[in-house]
Amino acid sequence: MDNELDRVDADSLIDSIPAMVAFMAPDGTLERVNRQILDYLGAPLDELKDWAATDAVHPEDLPSVIAVWTHSVETGEPYEIEHRIRRADGVYHWFHVRGLPIRDVEGRILRWCVLQVDIDERRRDKTTIAQALADVSASEDRLRDIINAVPGFVWSAGTDGGVIFINQRWCDYTGVSLNDARGIGWTTSLHPDDAGGLATYWYALLASGESGEYEARIRRFDGVYRWFMIRAVPQHDESGQVVGWYGENTDIEDRKRAEMLLAGEKHLLGMMAGGSALSLTLEALCELVEATFDGALCSVVLVELKRPYPALEAVPRMQPGAAPNLPADLMPGADGRPVDAMCCPLAAAALSNEQVISTDLAEETRWAGWVCSALSHGLRANWSTPITSINDSVTGILSILYREPNEPSATQQNLIAQFTHLASIAIDRARNEAALKQSQAFMNKAQRLSSTGTFSWRVETDEITWSEEIYRILDLDPSVTPTFELIYTRIHPDDTLLLEEMFRRQRETAGDFEHEHRLLLPDGTVKHVHLVAHAITDKDGGLEYIAALQDVTQRRLSEEALGKVRSELTHLARVASLGALTASIAHEVNQPLAGIITNASTCLRMLGADPPNVAGALETARRTIRDGNRASDVINRLRALFSKKSITIENVDINAAAREVIAMLLGELQRNGVMLHPDFAEHLPQIRGDRVQLQQVILNLILNAIETMNKITSRSRHMRIVTGLDESQCVYLEVKDNGTGFDPQDAERLFNAFYTTKSSGMGIGLSVSRSIIEKHQGRLWATVNDTGPGAIFRFAIPPLAEIDAVTGNAQEGR
Amino acid sequence: MDAPLLISVVDDDESVRESLPDLLREFGFAVQAFSSGQDFLWSGFIEQTRCLILDIAMPGMSGPDLQKELTLRGYDIPIIFITAHGDPAERPRLMSQGAVECLMKPFSEAALLKALSAALPVS
Repeated sequence: MDNELDRVDADSLIDSIPAMVAFMAPDGTLERVNRQILDYLGAPLDELKDWAATDAVHPEDLPSVIAVWTHSVETGEPYEIEHRIRRADGVYHWFHVRGLPIRDVEGRILRWCVLQVDIDERRRDKTTIAQALADVSASEDRLRDIINAVPGFVWSAGTDGGVIFINQRWCDYTGVSLNDARGIGWTTSLHPDDAGGLATYWYALLASGESGEYEARIRRFDGVYRWFMIRAVPQHDESGQVVGWYGENTDIEDRKRAEMLLAGEKHLLGMMAGGSALSLTLEALCELVEATFDGALCSVVLVELKRPYPALEAVPRMQPGAAPNLPADLMPGADGRPVDAMCCPLAAAALSNEQVISTDLAEETRWAGWVCSALSHGLRANWSTPITSINDSVTGILSILYREPNEPSATQQNLIAQFTHLASIAIDRARNEAALKQSQAFMNKAQRLSSTGTFSWRVETDEITWSEEIYRILDLDPSVTPTFELIYTRIHPDDTLLLEEMFRRQRETAGDFEHEHRLLLPDGTVKHVHLVAHAITDKDGGLEYIAALQDVTQRRLSEEALGKVRSELTHLARVASLGALTASIAHEVNQPLAGIITNASTCLRMLGADPPNVAGALETARRTIRDGNRASDVINRLRALFSKKSITIENVDINAAAREVIAMLLGELQRNGVMLHPDFAEHLPQIRGDRVQLQQVILNLILNAIETMNKITSRSRHMRIVTGLDESQCVYLEVKDNGTGFDPQDAERLFNAFYTTKSSGMGIGLSVSRSIIEKHQGRLWATVNDTGPGAIFRFAIPPLAEIDAVTGNAQEGR
Repeated sequence: MDAPLLISVVDDDESVRESLPDLLREFGFAVQAFSSGQDFLWSGFIEQTRCLILDIAMPGMSGPDLQKELTLRGYDIPIIFITAHGDPAERPRLMSQGAVECLMKPFSEAALLKALSAALPVS
């Protein structure tokens, strides 16, 4: 009973052990297992007794398990082995199995106690670790290869940002050893312009613990900088703490250049579109070229084709364009002289319209002076490329200079083509704009000078466009939008109806029109304007008028004044002549009077003498009578000249008429020291006309000649009066002086009523004289003396010409 | 009896050259008449001339021109100007340039005598 109880206690005892426990007989057969084994294996004890014949033990492990167990049973040595045991669901787990013999007091084995502990998890971990170890060992080698194979730079840094490791590629590129690069040593390879920005970014990144990237230039061992994208990634431990940084730098030079070029082009096109000055645009272009071509000095000169008179061939001339960094003496064109291909490669390129490449100026034999300057500035290569406009004419030269001998690569040639294309756009645009501005300025000036404005009127929409001058004529602010309402505020009230009517008509029927009307401006000014409009129809049949409006106020006022003046002209002419002749008349009368008085005095003395000298007295008395008659003649002539009321048509002997005028003017001629040379042709036919009027003309011509000779002091004054018959059988009279003459351009203006070269008002005579001669079917004109100084005035009248009906009637009315 | 004083008359007007010498001879002077200043300069009578009656306005050399020429040549002959241009405005100017008198044509016998006595104080 007690035994039975013990047994029950022992069962519950082994069942409570948290492991699988089995008891074996001394011969090795299974006697008993605890509950854990039954649960794990999922089979009854009877089945388990045949374990060696089942797959309860993993087939791979079974031979060694049987061998070791057999050995322990035979020898009594403790049994220990690790093997896999199948669970109820078929999955094998690793177990650590230990068997110990339980002996009696005599040392005989009573039974074996076998403990099986599940070590599957532990066992698996171990395998993983071993695998991992093997992997790590392999990857370390691979990593080294990878690190050196990466087409960039790989590095690691500590939490403080100091570089710990950096790959060989970086060292090869920068020429800086790993030792020198450690810590912050690597920053010496950064471009000075980028170092500050990168440092700020890097420390911000360290503080945030996030990954990031930054673009910066890194110096190559030979001093050339290239752009790199620098990426940094933090390394965290299990708790998320940053324990270090890994990074990689990629060469992005090509991308960066493409971007820069694109940005540069965009900037340049923006400048052009924004209307920047050409010099600024070209300067920006030069800077872009210099940024793109390392070590290059870029400049642009402008070339303009000028066709100098009288040469027919257009000659290119160079003008400064832009040269932000070029020594001044290498910049041709400042003098604007014609281009000479011998002076510099730029000129040669301009003349040939072909690229000129000098790969080494030290070996260049052309352009000695220019090359010498270039060499003295340490420049060794030059590429001069023409910039051509759309029509293929050269508008400029893009010059690139290098400090080393250099030849352009295909890529560089492509870029140069791109740059010259940009430059040509800039130059063409600037020139077109300048030409446009100039022609606009010319037009404005021309409109201003001619007081003519232009406007267009689109009938359908009543849209009106005015030129600047219209605003000025209408006295309106140029900022207002033109409308018909606005126009009508400026029209003179008396003309408004007529104008409105005309616009109404023109609106309905297309056709050119012309109109003259007045404007009344707010300040009370009245202007006369002349409007000429031309109708055009556009392709949609819309009617538009293109019109010119001219301010004719001055002309109108002049015409009115002229009309007034003309009516008084004849009278004025006579009064003027009379005034000028007063002195001459006095002279003519005083001369014979002096003789009369002197002779009379002598006569009295001779008669009063003792004895009286009667013969002498008679002679002096006769002279007195003669001089008296002479004085009387003068008075008669004057009366004939000035007292006539109407026109008399008679046969006139031009020589006799001229002689009478000369006789009257002798005193005037003398007073002015003029030598008169009459040269009258004999047997001239008579002409029909008004003798006195013709004499007035002759008088006028002679007085004018005297007056122009007044200013002569360096030579004696001569006047020739010639009469004759010209080739068309007209009787002519010519007055020729050696005075100051006149400008041949003024030959016609002399006859203008307002033209005078004199300070007094005598000039009015020529226009009147011409009208008199024309009334006689003749002509009066002036020429410059062809044999010396002075002028010739000549009139010619057909002999016995018919006088027009009006003067003929005047004769009858006498 | 002294030889009569010589008075020279220069005038381009013939009636003056005819009438004035006769009157002057009636006064008791010897007279030479010339139609231009040039004729007088070439005549050889300059030295003997005690008084010159000179027309102002003449073609070629005018009266004042002759006056200047004589001064240039060092002669100091009293000059009486005569002129048919009744412009009294010119008189002061001519007088200031050394003329003894300036007579406006026509002039009276008395005016002529007065001028002559001013030119020849001795008689």
